[in-house]
Amino acid sequence: MDMEHVWLLPAIPVVIFAVIGLFGRLLPRGGDWLAILGMGAVTVLAALAIVDFQGDNIAVWSEEWMKISDGSRVVELIEISTYVDSITVVMLTAVTIVTLMVMVYSVGYMAGDSRYGWYFALLSFFAAAMLTLVVSGNLLMLYLAWEGVGLASYLLIGFWWEKQSAAEAAKKAFITTRIGDVGLLIGIILLWRGSGSFDIQEIIHHAESGGFDQTYLTITMLFLFAGAVGKSAQFPLHVWLPDAMEGPTPVSALIHAATMVVAGVYLVARMLPVFDTVLIARDVVLYTGLITAVMAASMALVTSDIKRVLAYSTVSQLGFMFVALGVGAVTAAMFHLLTHAFFKSLLFLGSGSVIHATEEQEVEQLGGLRRKMPATTITFTIGAIALAGIVPLAGFWSKDEILVAAQEGAPAIAYITLAATAVLTAVYSTRLVLLTFWGEPKNRSVHEHAHESPPVMVIPLLILTALAVVSGFVALDGVGEALGFAGGIGEVVYEGAHGHAYALNETVAIGATIASLFGIGLGFIYWWGCAARAEAARNWAPELHALLVNRYYIDHLYQATIDRVILGLSGVVGWFDRRVINETGVDGSAQGLGYFGLRLKFLQTGRIPNYALAMAVGVIAIALVAFGTN
Amino acid sequence: MSDLNFDYALLIPEFILVGTAILIIMADLFRKELGLGRLVLPAIAALGTIAAGAASLAYIDDVDDFANVIAIDNYTTFFRVLFTVVLLVVVVSGYEYVERNIRHTGEFYALLLLSTVGAIYMAGARELLTAYISIELLSFSLYVAVSLAKTNPRSAEAGLKYVLLGGVASAMLLYGMSLIYGTAGSTQYSEIAAAFSGGTSEYGFALLLGLVLLIAGLGFKASAVPFHMWTPDAYEGAPLPITAYLSATSKAATFALLLRIFAGPLLPVIDQWQWMMATIAVMTMVGGNLIALQQTNIKRLLAYSSIGQVGYMLMAITTISDASASALLVHVAGYLITNLAVFSAVIAFHNRTGKEELDDFAGLAETNPYLAMVLTAGMFSLAGMPLLAGFVTKFILFQAAASGGYLWLATVAVIASTISLYYYLQVIRRMYLLEPARGESGRWRLSPAGYIATGTLTAGVFLVGIYAGPLFTVADRAARVLALS
Repeated sequence: MDMEHVWLLPAIPVVIFAVIGLFGRLLPRGGDWLAILGMGAVTVLAALAIVDFQGDNIAVWSEEWMKISDGSRVVELIEISTYVDSITVVMLTAVTIVTLMVMVYSVGYMAGDSRYGWYFALLSFFAAAMLTLVVSGNLLMLYLAWEGVGLASYLLIGFWWEKQSAAEAAKKAFITTRIGDVGLLIGIILLWRGSGSFDIQEIIHHAESGGFDQTYLTITMLFLFAGAVGKSAQFPLHVWLPDAMEGPTPVSALIHAATMVVAGVYLVARMLPVFDTVLIARDVVLYTGLITAVMAASMALVTSDIKRVLAYSTVSQLGFMFVALGVGAVTAAMFHLLTHAFFKSLLFLGSGSVIHATEEQEVEQLGGLRRKMPATTITFTIGAIALAGIVPLAGFWSKDEILVAAQEGAPAIAYITLAATAVLTAVYSTRLVLLTFWGEPKNRSVHEHAHESPPVMVIPLLILTALAVVSGFVALDGVGEALGFAGGIGEVVYEGAHGHAYALNETVAIGATIASLFGIGLGFIYWWGCAARAEAARNWAPELHALLVNRYYIDHLYQATIDRVILGLSGVVGWFDRRVINETGVDGSAQGLGYFGLRLKFLQTGRIPNYALAMAVGVIAIALVAFGTN
Repeated sequence: MSDLNFDYALLIPEFILVGTAILIIMADLFRKELGLGRLVLPAIAALGTIAAGAASLAYIDDVDDFANVIAIDNYTTFFRVLFTVVLLVVVVSGYEYVERNIRHTGEFYALLLLSTVGAIYMAGARELLTAYISIELLSFSLYVAVSLAKTNPRSAEAGLKYVLLGGVASAMLLYGMSLIYGTAGSTQYSEIAAAFSGGTSEYGFALLLGLVLLIAGLGFKASAVPFHMWTPDAYEGAPLPITAYLSATSKAATFALLLRIFAGPLLPVIDQWQWMMATIAVMTMVGGNLIALQQTNIKRLLAYSSIGQVGYMLMAITTISDASASALLVHVAGYLITNLAVFSAVIAFHNRTGKEELDDFAGLAETNPYLAMVLTAGMFSLAGMPLLAGFVTKFILFQAAASGGYLWLATVAVIASTISLYYYLQVIRRMYLLEPARGESGRWRLSPAGYIATGTLTAGVFLVGIYAGPLFTVADRAARVLALS
């Protein structure tokens, strides 16, 4: 497929969404096969497009959407455009493969659900919006797709809306990300105001040629970054992601690990040339990522819900990517995005397999599942090792890239914090594996009816495991060349000024490996067997434990702010709205207008002489106007 | 006069329409003898209309005229296509209604075809008398068409009112035209423009009086307040498809004529008429929308709603400029699509229930969710909600007025438009929030023609709302003929 036709990729799932949404009830099996076939076609087409892509050709396609002209002069031209470069290619790879795997897996996981067909319609809708976001060449279209994935996320988190907590979580996710989205919208409008265009490349060109005022652009990029912070669940807007785990687990794997939450990373990567012209904004990116990475990893240590641990882990890993972007290393960020998409969706689907088998997601209730669920145990463990960053699995290569970038391009504090976070990552990965699959079963009845998942769920796990093992190798020059990309990942992901071919930095690599092994060791020390040392550690510093369990009291702080400040303020506004605006202004004027209309209505007598008289009066009236104004 | 261009090929679309009308009357006469089925007449009308519309496309980018009286240019082509499409929609969505409620169906189709010819020449005329005769061709056809439901006394009453008041308006119009002829020395638009460009001080009074009468006469045809009073009665009494046609072609043709005249021969004397036009624009926007608040019959509601829409269009004439001319064409096209969508739905509703009071729409969302959706899209579009045609076209129209320096007029339009939301929502509220009447809660379906008409038009409402680019381009090309700048 030619790169010019990438618009086909989102077009296919949008059609399928319409078909299943409208006629799903008439289709056999609710139309799940249609969604999967469609997504399969999209994956094949994307693969063809990626093969066609050679690292240096940048494909642009555009079609006029709306033109506002003042006679002959075009005032505003808005286009539908796609833009494909190496960043897009990486995103396409991650999005298409993970979406397809999740859809197949869902056939088993969602079997028997009362809204089975609608679930697949929503997944198709999400895929369409996500692909649009990725291939979009201008910010307006990107924003539409951005809201589209947000809507899909909202609907899927709240998919089981009968459950109070799911409905609450969906609302929280929507509102929290919306705070960031407003920033994004303001940022887009400011960029348009400054450059006169929505086209991303034109904006970048405008910024690089110094067309923006520095202060103006700094503020603009911070607004834009707010959108990324919301969508990618970075501090201080990270609170929605753990709650979003109320959605079906495949959804968590797809939207809240591999695709939608990395949209923020993608946005910043896409706009990085503009960030480069205002370095303060880039520093904000760096430190936001850093704080988030370490904070989320620490919370993952004490969380007992298997999915929430993975959610905090995702937040933390996204922080790693933002750190990479903050030092200008797009290559490292996008590489980690790719490997993370594979091993994190693997972990989520593995946890889904556990939940499917046991209907239990508290690790305190699990344990000893390795004999009952061997395939899940092995694949999950491999995913966890990849996350911990042990050579030669995928996470090692990409995390190493980020560490190298941080060491070279940022103050020492960044490198030290990241290394510490890497230790924490290894600790909670180990803890999760040990508590879930090893040790003795803590709850007999849960353990009794546990069983391995059906093949339709295990096969996607196996495929993702393979990817979690090998996807890091694309970093190696030899592998990159064998796949048809001269020069390995550096050449593929970012050519030009920011690119650097992958070179293993032995010091960093060995240091990181030691950190990971150290973390795994700590994990074994505390949680192997009956986890007595973990109990002891908890009692040793109860305040620290409480701080982590209560998520640094950030949720409490937000709730208190909402309760005291916002609700108080809105009470006043509400009173004003009810009494002054509504009762006096709206109702008053409406009654006034209605009365006036009633009077006018009675002028309409139905008698012809009256009508003719009205016309005569009208003529006299406009004649008076005519003679009065001349 | 040998230099006049008598190229009859320029008029082929109208020949087709007139020929089809004659064919229908003949076929109707010998209906029994020939054993014609009930679908034959509408089929002939539809085919003739399609042929005329297709033939119109051959004149794109022509700059020509027939005997100096009818211009064949992009502007005329724009309206030729628009009016044939309207006619086709009325025929398709109305034939069931016509079959049930009108005895002489041949007359119905023939009159519509002939009136469409009148409407096209109103847009194409480049000379006052031709314009007048075209108006009368349209009007006379409609006087008869309004009273076609001979068994319904309201229909006859509506026809009589329309013809009597229309006579008064025609007299004023003709008198106004003769005064303009007297001051300019010609009935040709181009020569009037040339004459007025050279100064008008010596004819001050006669010219002003001529303009007053011209605006009053055309105001009647456009149903501008206070010349609108025939409108609700005629809309209510007329057979439903004719009401749809009145609200569409008759309005649009009047604006085609208004724009051609006020952006052409009368542009040099804009200072003399601008305040008059502004006054009736404001009265029409405010009056139409206010009285609509109190209506309980869907046809009367739509009558006042269309009066309100006319007010916005008059605003575009008042603030005449390159941008507002193009915006007016866009708005007319968007309004026609939306209004026809609403009327097709109302006709389908009437075909099933025989009712037309607002309260009869209670619970429609339950008994026919599809039709409720169509009506909701149409009502929201008329009110100017985003994603629908009405938003885009109104936005462009208001923007043209505001950026032309008439912010106050655009403000009035926005306020009037806000008021209008109330009565559009009244219909939607009844459909969705109220229960269906007792014993009428069963689901029902439309006829295939009903689905085709409403489905296509609703798709059009969304298409213009989301992807208006092509319509803007077409309207720009049509408006460029007027050579405003």
